[in-house]
Amino acid sequence: MSSPPQTSSARPRASLVASLPHCLIASFFPLLLTACGPSASERAASSARTAYFAGDYRSAAAELRPFAKLTDENFALNNARLGLTYLADNRLDDAEAALLNSYEVINAVGVNAGGRSLGAVLVDEKIRVWKGEPFERAMVNFYLGLIYTLRADHNNARAAYENALFKLRDFDDASDNARKDELESNFALATIMLGRSWQRLGRDDLAAASFARAAQLNPRLAHLADPELHRRSNVLLVVDYGYGPRRNTDFDGSILAFFPTPSQAGPLPTPRLLVNGQPYDLRGAAAPPTDLLALAQDRKWQSIDTIRATKSVIGTGLIGAGAIMGVKGVNETGSRQRTDLAVAASLLAAGLILKATSQADIREWGILPRTTYILPLNLPPGSHNLTIDMGNGTQQSLLGLPAFELPNERTFYIRMQRFSAGPITFTTIPSPAP
Amino acid sequence: MNTENADHFSSKPVHDESPPGLSICVHMRSLWLQRISLCLCVSVLFTAAGCASAVSTGQSASLSGDDLRRITDDMAMKLAGDPDVRAAISAEGALPIVVLPVENRMTGEILPRGPAMAYTARVRTLLAQKAPTDFTWIVNRDEFNALRARELSGVDLGPSPDAIQPRYALHARFQTLTNDTRDARSIYYLCVYELTDITNRKSLWTGSYELKKAVVKGFLD
Repeated sequence: MSSPPQTSSARPRASLVASLPHCLIASFFPLLLTACGPSASERAASSARTAYFAGDYRSAAAELRPFAKLTDENFALNNARLGLTYLADNRLDDAEAALLNSYEVINAVGVNAGGRSLGAVLVDEKIRVWKGEPFERAMVNFYLGLIYTLRADHNNARAAYENALFKLRDFDDASDNARKDELESNFALATIMLGRSWQRLGRDDLAAASFARAAQLNPRLAHLADPELHRRSNVLLVVDYGYGPRRNTDFDGSILAFFPTPSQAGPLPTPRLLVNGQPYDLRGAAAPPTDLLALAQDRKWQSIDTIRATKSVIGTGLIGAGAIMGVKGVNETGSRQRTDLAVAASLLAAGLILKATSQADIREWGILPRTTYILPLNLPPGSHNLTIDMGNGTQQSLLGLPAFELPNERTFYIRMQRFSAGPITFTTIPSPAP
Repeated sequence: MNTENADHFSSKPVHDESPPGLSICVHMRSLWLQRISLCLCVSVLFTAAGCASAVSTGQSASLSGDDLRRITDDMAMKLAGDPDVRAAISAEGALPIVVLPVENRMTGEILPRGPAMAYTARVRTLLAQKAPTDFTWIVNRDEFNALRARELSGVDLGPSPDAIQPRYALHARFQTLTNDTRDARSIYYLCVYELTDITNRKSLWTGSYELKKAVVKGFLD
């Protein structure tokens, strides 16, 4: 039997079928790029996180250090991780250097201009330079401020706390005052530390304004925001506690969410303090001035979220249409079958590409605490043994903590670790802060 | 599979039966599709791999190295040419000056110790080069001891702070008006330099430099 006559319109279709493999090869490049397993940087970060929460800060820093030097899209992220690790290890110069690296990228604009923005939208969101959510940006600035507070460099500390509050306002339009208040009420941490810095700089008027603002935003902090409490304190404990928000994806990987929510994690504990074996009355000062789990529920990148979700929905539609076309093609014969199968394959490929490139960016700092307690103490000059007890089995002992006569004061940063209760020993009494 | 289809699949290639013009047309189309595929691959690879580093692009409203040069050049020139300073040099000889770091009074702008020192140290360096006989530069006691502890070779520390008492202090104060919103960050800087007589706290010379910097936040900022 002779072959059926070929119509002129069927021939271009046939050529389309012939060229289909090329299109598919081109289409699979994005898939290859996006469907890779965890990178060396991500594996190191995961390993560092484990070491960090075990209290092994040296190992954590050793894991992170090589990647923090790479000026790639994770530069700010890896330096934020490294800086916080150094801070927990009391290596202030190294912590400052790492956090300043992160600070500079976060403060710059246009680092994602051009190829990175296009790549983040079209190919993979992880191509963009990580600058963090507003709460992560605020925390980079807060920790820089804390380093300067630890060094009694109150001018730079003040500047960093101010910038932390600026970063938090990146969330929404500046004209929305109610929203700003809501956000700042969850981050009174920086406002209180700002007030303390102003107080140390001799600007009691500005200190009073900051403390009043903190108490107004969160009335539970009224005692902690009492200027007199800070004026009389010669020791300040800044205590990080708990596990910060983690990024996770919902649905088909295109919807990003932070977990757990504050209600899932439960209420924050109130720390108890023992000084030389005796309970120290913290009164209301032990109230948590921030809850990062609550702050994380407000996110900034709504525009790219929408693009990602749209791509995912269109991808699902194309896959569905491709499946229908494929079923139709299977039930047909001849050139019509080939054409329909080719169209089905194209639709499926396009749908898969869109699905593969609509995966959310889940890079995260990973070692942030849930909250940071600020405990202003007034201790007699000399060495003291302290125990911070969270009431849930998490304790930290501090041996030989030095206290000086006012106006000399000292600030100490402690990272509470469930599996590493210390003790932290202060073998030498540092000289008083100027 | 029916016979008709089998025959159809076993028949000669389509382009063999076609008129020469159509065959060329189909061949050209195939070539174009191959080229488009290649372009797609290359563009995807460029998008993924051709991105600049995190620190090589981007702009900031913070003070930069260029600002450091401009500010210190201007201040050194103004200080050296100031009539009161010239009169003091004529009356007292080389002025013994200690250099202090910048006092950061900026809103939301960190000025770490290194840059804070650089903004006054460069004025010292410029004046030491241009007018070596007019000023005697005395390193701050802490800096002097730190440098001496490091035993740096080739670094002229100048006279010991214990050997010579500075009479003047060169210091600076940086202040800003900062406006940071979701869409932009703009900073107006006022950098005030002062040469103060330590003995009576009188200001011998004051100079200021003003600049404004602004950046607009973009899509992924």
